[in-house]
Parts: sequence; structure tokens; C-alpha cells
Amino acid sequence: MVIAEIKSLADINEMIKSFRKIFIVGCGECVSVCLTGGQKQVELLSSALRISGRNDKEKRILKGKTISRQCEPKFLEQINKDIEESDAVLSMACGAGVQTLSEKFRKIPVFPAMDTKFIGVSDEAGNFIEMCSACGDCILSLTGGICPVTRCPKGLLNGPCGGSKNGKCEANPETPCAWLLIYEKMKELNKLEELKNINNPKDWSKNMRPGKVNAGI
Amino acid sequence: MSITAMPPCQAACPIRTDVRGYVYAISKGDVSEAIRIIREVNPFPSVCGRICTRACESACRRGQIDEPIAIASLKRFASDETMEQKDIFKTGPYYTEKIAIVGGGPSGLTAAHDLALLGYNVVVYEAHDELGGMMTRGVPEYRLPKNVVMNDIERILSLGVEARTNTALGKDITVDELMKEYQAVFIALGSEKSLFPKCRGIELPGVITAVEFLKQVSRGQRPYLGQKVVIIGGGHTAIDAARTCIRLGSPDVTVLYRRTINEMPAGRIEVEEAESEGVKFRYLSAPLEFIGRGRIEKIRCTEMRFVADESRRRRLVPVEDSEFEVMADAVILAIGYNPRTDDIKDIEKISGKRGTIVVKDDTGTTNLKGVFAGGDVVSGPMSVIDAIASGKRAAIAIHRYLRSLPPKENEEPTVLKPLDEKIIPLIEKRPQQKMAQLPVEERIKNFDEVNLGFTWEQAISEAQRCLNCGAGAEISDECVSCLNCVRVCPYNVPVASEYKPKIDISQCQACGICASECPALAIDIKLDTKEQSIIKLQNAINSAKNISGNNSEIEFYCQYKKIGKPGTETSKETSIGKPCIARIDISQFIKPFEEGCKKVKILACKDNDCHFKECNKWLNKHVNEAKRILKESGLDPEQLTVVYE
Ligand SMILES: Cc1cc2nc3c(=O)[nH]c(=O)nc-3n(C[C@H](O)[C@H](O)[C@H](O)COP(=O)(O)OP(=O)(O)OC[C@H]3O[C@@H](n4cnc5c(N)ncnc54)[C@H](O)[C@@H]3O)c2cc1C
Ligand code: SF4
Ligand code: SF4
Ligand code: SF4
Ligand code: SF4
Repeated sequence: MVIAEIKSLADINEMIKSFRKIFIVGCGECVSVCLTGGQKQVELLSSALRISGRNDKEKRILKGKTISRQCEPKFLEQINKDIEESDAVLSMACGAGVQTLSEKFRKIPVFPAMDTKFIGVSDEAGNFIEMCSACGDCILSLTGGICPVTRCPKGLLNGPCGGSKNGKCEANPETPCAWLLIYEKMKELNKLEELKNINNPKDWSKNMRPGKVNAGI
Repeated sequence: MSITAMPPCQAACPIRTDVRGYVYAISKGDVSEAIRIIREVNPFPSVCGRICTRACESACRRGQIDEPIAIASLKRFASDETMEQKDIFKTGPYYTEKIAIVGGGPSGLTAAHDLALLGYNVVVYEAHDELGGMMTRGVPEYRLPKNVVMNDIERILSLGVEARTNTALGKDITVDELMKEYQAVFIALGSEKSLFPKCRGIELPGVITAVEFLKQVSRGQRPYLGQKVVIIGGGHTAIDAARTCIRLGSPDVTVLYRRTINEMPAGRIEVEEAESEGVKFRYLSAPLEFIGRGRIEKIRCTEMRFVADESRRRRLVPVEDSEFEVMADAVILAIGYNPRTDDIKDIEKISGKRGTIVVKDDTGTTNLKGVFAGGDVVSGPMSVIDAIASGKRAAIAIHRYLRSLPPKENEEPTVLKPLDEKIIPLIEKRPQQKMAQLPVEERIKNFDEVNLGFTWEQAISEAQRCLNCGAGAEISDECVSCLNCVRVCPYNVPVASEYKPKIDISQCQACGICASECPALAIDIKLDTKEQSIIKLQNAINSAKNISGNNSEIEFYCQYKKIGKPGTETSKETSIGKPCIARIDISQFIKPFEEGCKKVKILACKDNDCHFKECNKWLNKHVNEAKRILKESGLDPEQLTVVYE
């Protein structure tokens, strides 16, 4: 899923400082699951904005709602009226959600309340960890299901490098060495031999931005 | 499992009392709410609080951990503490129909109560000069003081119920006559005709039945007992008679019972209490003959033993050549009762075996149109709560009969499952509160009530033991399947299923942590809903602002640690009690600041002191997050303080 973080309140305040009627839109998908953009955060952000705007001459009016999937224009129909009654929208979704909102409601400024970080998962200990860089040319079949492009800070396709120490990466001693993980996984899979093959450079042309996939419908 | 499954205590109660509801109210120190909940279904809380047979306690799931909740004693507490509250909600009469109730015991009076509340004109006919039935004439005062029964009865009469005492069916009135004046009749005559053992000599002076004996004593009479009294029987009545003899000063009181203590209908506790007062018990002994010249002098008895018959059922038989004699100046017979209906002519058509009245179903409908019956006269000797239940069912049946409504469907509730073996060790053991009693030396001198009732501290602490079964977490459609609830529950109740997680309402402990951690606000805890929390907080904020304007302060405290008699410090309007402070979500800490309050204070529990688990871990997390928000919003984070007590 997409992992995102809430921006600092100062940054958010800066974006919306000239607006009074603000509508906050949460998303019920990834950002809810990574605990940053669901209904609970929508309400906390409204509270925080109300408190920080307490000395303004004209009071801020904050309303909020969580859409089950913000990047789906059809789901956005339900807030047509709320949007009409607002001067600005704060989106608590990944960049895709923010852009869907601003595309759909072209007459009103839509601001991102989040910084979209990466594609990742929970480590069950309260952290979310990046797992995939959406490179467009997946090589997980070669690496025991562990992505070196993302999880090796150097993105090495043939590892480990000499900086692997006690199972951790020299670039960040909290990061496990992806190539050690790959080695161990391949051992479990009885495929250590395969690691002797040299992986060719990836085909980055498949990573052309903006990406486009035709689903045939 | 239905989300509305009933706690087993409530399902076991014949009148389906919302036990969880009133116990929770007491746990918050709210006795008025507790008695309101109780009185909604039970017009005899003072009675049931003392002598109920307590099916609820046998079913209580707390018993799986240590001991059940002292449910009846808490009912007594609620009724004792509200004795002075006379706020009665008077109704009607809305209907013109008149209903006659025959028999002023718990069954008849309950029907009268419910019918009066439904808006009918009700008249109670009672053979004796006083209402109450066995509650005032059978059960002795040291277990059930008459004034507390009368208190409950007065409330019933104050609904406009008319009582005609000294008027017996069969003697002063007939059913036919009643049916001319009334549109429905409810017969609840009880069951008080004593059975006699098939022995010679029962007619001797000095041989008396227990019901007659207890009745005389309750009226202040003192039957002659001499030095040695022998009580025959093993039920509550036998024990009540024996303990009454002790109080009347009999130096030598023996209960003779043909079986052993294990078969005794009176419980072991009752036997122990009687023994501690000096009553002797002789088991496996039965009378053969009562002997005396002009007055009882002795009883010829035999020893008994159990033998297994062909079907391997145990049968009781006399032991050969085991006869013995017991000296007795008085004998009290307590071997059983049947209803006394033989001299009531016009109910022959509906009379059954052993003097009972036959009803068609549990609503008490009989074969005589407009005539209903209930209580011990239908069932044979049972209990007060069964009598009350039958009175309630009859009241509904009579109402539906008079209004030509179809009979009420009987719905069997879905009941919560027992606690999982895996959860039991996670719940802290806390033994039941024991009620103080009069010391034995004192109580054998008079008829003062033996059990003294709970103190406030005891009642609250006992009520807090309740597991609030079935009042836990419910997941709404807002759930985004993040499975955070599965990760945070200290009791491992939520489980990931194919799509959304599932919370087994039978196992949830209602600690509220999942609700405070759910990113989608998709979980609500029935015990302390979001809606209630918001209202409570808003009320507190309003009062705080009224009291101190811009300097206002809101306080949160844990209900399990800090609760007292109303009027104490925590009952301030600006203080908010919560069943565990870990359940308070960040927004509750922030909201007062949004509304311009100056301070929020949280009275936290010391580590390892949590009623549930790990409250401090979650509290710290919420407080840190709230402080961060305050700081970012330009307030001083120290305006939110945590005080560990
Ligand atoms: C000694 C003793 C101890 C007990 N202890 C307990 C206990 O601890 N817990 C418990 O739950 N139960 C106990 N019981 C049982 C309980 O009291 C009865 O089950 C209950 O009172 C039955 O209620 P009822 O309304 O059916 O009948 P009763 O309470 O018997 O009331 C019937 C009423 O009808 C009146 N009546 C009878 N005939 C006529 C007539 N012909 N015309 C007009 N009125 C009439 C009677 O005078 C009486 O007032 C005890 C009973 C006894 C005798
Ligand atoms: S190889 Fe590319 S697509 Fe596959 S997991 Fe890594 S970054 Fe994602
Ligand atoms: S713990 Fe409370 S709710 Fe549960 S069965 Fe016992 S009294 Fe009822
Ligand atoms: S924490 Fe809330 S949103 Fe997440 S799975 Fe549980 S109920 Fe659903
Ligand atoms: S309320 Fe407590 S016990 Fe019940 S599911 Fe939630 S966290 Fe678990």
C-alpha cells in the first residue's frame, strides 16, 4: 500500500492561511491503514487547525469527511455540496487522491495535507517500511521475493557489497542488508546456486513517467 | 453470534433483569440509576436483594475466574440506599376495565403493579389481614425484615392499587361473583397447605406445621416449644423454623432429615449458618411415630440409607432394626406444601393434582374465560422470583386478552458464550466482597436482620468486578480493514478474517483500547459509547466555562480507581469518569482546548494498577500525541497534565 505522512501543521497552515472555510477529505484506503489519513486524523487535523486559528479575526470553519477511496472520481460525487460551501480543500490522501480531487473540483484550490512517501507495509512494531519502488521491471523472481532495488539503499542488483556488517547496511545501521536477506531466503528455497548468476542491468525504459497501463476496458 | 447476545446473568433471571446495567450503574456510584433499572422489571427489589434464589449468580461468567458477582446483594444495596426516594411515576387509569387479583403475595402484587402501570383499575383480595404472602408470614424477619417488604408493597399501592384484606376466595367471595364485577381475574393463592408424614400421632398437641409456626411468630405470638424442639424436613422452611426456635430461646433444636446434606434443598451456607447458631442436624433419619400422652413427648425414628435399584437410581430405604427415639417437647413439620384450594368450589373446573390450578401455558391462561393464575398455586412451592415472573407474564396476558391482542411471542434470547479458556488467565482475580453479619451471640437473641448490607466501598468494589459481558466492541461499516485492532487488543479478541476483522462479543472485555486506536473510528464500545462520551465531555466543558470562564479546567479520571458516594470530589461536573483512561482517544484531550478551556488534567493510575491491561502505555501515547498537536497549534503542551495517583 501507499504510505504517507501528515505534513507539519505549520506547513499546512501556511498553505491555507488565506482561506476560511476549509473542507478536509480523508481516504479510507492505504492512508487509513497506515494510520495517517483516516477519519480519526481528519478530526484531529480539524481540531488542530481550529486551535491554531483561534486568534484569527474571522473564525475558521472546518468540516471533514473520509471517502472510501479518494482516487475514485465516482466516490467524490458525495462531497459536491460540501465543496461548494468551502473555499479550500485539504486532502488527506496520497498524491493520486489529491490530484483526483483537484481534477474533479477544478474551481477550488486543493492542498495536500500529506507527504506521500512510498509503497510499503507494516513491520508489526509500529513502523511502515518501504518495499517497492514501482520500477516497472520487477525482478523479485530472481531475488527470493526481496527487492534489492528498494531495500538495498544502493539499489545493487548483484550484492552484497563490502559494506554489509553484522547483517546491517553501512548506509544506515538500522537497515538490514537486503542482500543478506536475499541470501538467507535463497538458502531456505534451496536456490543458492542461482545467486551465482549475474543480474543484468534493469530495463529502465519500462519506468517511463508518467506510467500508463492499459487494462483493456 | 448475535451482536445483541444477552449476558448469562440476565438470561438466567426469570424476569430478565438488566443485571449488567444496574451493576454498572452502581460501579459508578449511581444508585438512582441502578434502582431505576431494577424497578423497571421488579417491584420487589428489597425482597429479591435479600432472599432471591439467584439463578443469575450461578450463571455469572465471573464465576469462571473466581466467584460470581454478588448480584442480589448489590440489588439490596441499591434498594437500601434509595429507600427514601419516593418518586413514583403514577399512571392512568387509562382503561375502564377492572381486574381482580386474588392473593396478596409476590405473584399477585406483581401482576397488580404491572397492570396498574399499564393503566388498569386493580383490586387485590387477600384472605389475611396483611399483604405480602409468604414474604411477610413465612420468611422470618432475621432474613427479610417486614418493614422492607412493606416499603415495596406501599409503592405498589401508591400506584392506585386497592387492597381488600380479610377477604378469602371460597369463603367471602367466589370466582363467579368476581367475574360479574371484573373483566379479568388473576388467582395467586400461593401454596401453604402443609404435608404431613404418614405416621401415627401427628394430631398430638405440640406437633405443628412450620408455616403455621412461622406465621404465628411473625404475628408476635410465641408457641410453646419447651426444652427440646425437633424439626422434620430439609428445605428452607425447616431451617427457617429451626433458627426461629433458637431466637425464641429454645436450648435444644434438632433438624431431622431423611437424606443427607447433599440432597438438602436448603443450601450448605444456610445449614452452616444454622449450625453456627446452635442448630443440630441429624441426617438419614425419618420419623415413624409421634408418641405422647395428651402432648408430644418423643418421636420413634428409623435410620435411612440409599440403595441402588435395578435402574441404578438411588432409592431411600429404612435401615432394618435401626429404630431409635428422640425426645421432643415440640415437633415442627416442614416436609412440604401444596396449594390450599380444596374448599374453593368454583375453581374445580381448573384444579389439578395436589390442589394446584391448571394453566394452559406460561402466561397463566386457564380454561375459564378471563381467569388467569400464577405463582405457587400453579407451580407448587417455588420462589419469590418465580412468583414475580408469573405475575408479570399474567399481567401481559391479561392486557392482551382485554385489548384483544394476539398472545405475545415467546422469544428465547441468544446468550453470550462462556469465557474462553485463553482469556480467563488474562483477567485479574478479585474475590467477592463478603457482607458483614451480626455476630452469632447477638443474632440468636432477637430477630434483627443477620446480613448487614454492603458499605459504599464494598458495593462499588463488588460492582466493579463485573465483566460487563457483551457490552464491548462493535465494528461498523466504516472499518478499513487495517487490522490495528487485532494488533492492539490486550486480550487478543479481534481476529483477522477473510475481509474485515471479527470481534467475538462473548470474549471482548470492553477495555476500549481498540476503539481509541482505530484510524477509521469504526469501533464503538457499548459500555461507554462515542456518543455518550461526546455528550459527557460537552457538558463538562459547558460547566467548566460557566464556573471559571477562560480559566476553565477539565479533569479525566478512571472510574475504577476513583469513585465514591455521590457528593464526593469526583462527582464535580467538570470531572469525567471513564472506565479506564486508556480508552480516551486523543480528540477528547484536545476538544476542551478547541472550546477555549485552559487546562486538562488526567488523573492516571500507577503502573500495574490497571483494571484492564497496560493503561499507561496507551495513555502515554495519547498524551504525547495530544501534546504534539497542542504545541504545533501554538499552545503550551503543559496545559495538558497527567497526575499519577
Ligand atoms: C419459610 C419459607 C421460606 C422461604 N424462603 C424463600 C427464600 O429464601 N427465597 C425465595 O425465593 N422463596 C422463599 N420461599 C418461597 C416463597 O415465599 C414463595 O414461593 C412465594 O412467596 C410464592 O408467592 P405467591 O405469590 O405465589 O404465593 P404466597 O406468597 O404464598 O402468597 C399467596 C397469598 O394468597 C393469599 N391467599 C391464599 N388463599 C387465599 C384465598 N382463598 N383468598 C384470598 N387470598 C388467599 C395468602 O394469604 C397469601 O397472602 C419461602 C417460603 C417459606 C414458606
Ligand atoms: S524490483 Fe521494482 S517492481 Fe519489483 S519490488 Fe523492486 S522496485 Fe518494486
Ligand atoms: S460478570 Fe457481570 S455481566 Fe457478566 S454474567 Fe456476571 S454479572 Fe452478568
Ligand atoms: S482498527 Fe478499525 S479500521 Fe482497523 S481493522 Fe480494526 S475496526 Fe477496522
Ligand atoms: S474492547 Fe478491549 S478487549 Fe474488546 S476487542 Fe477491543 S481491545 Fe480487545
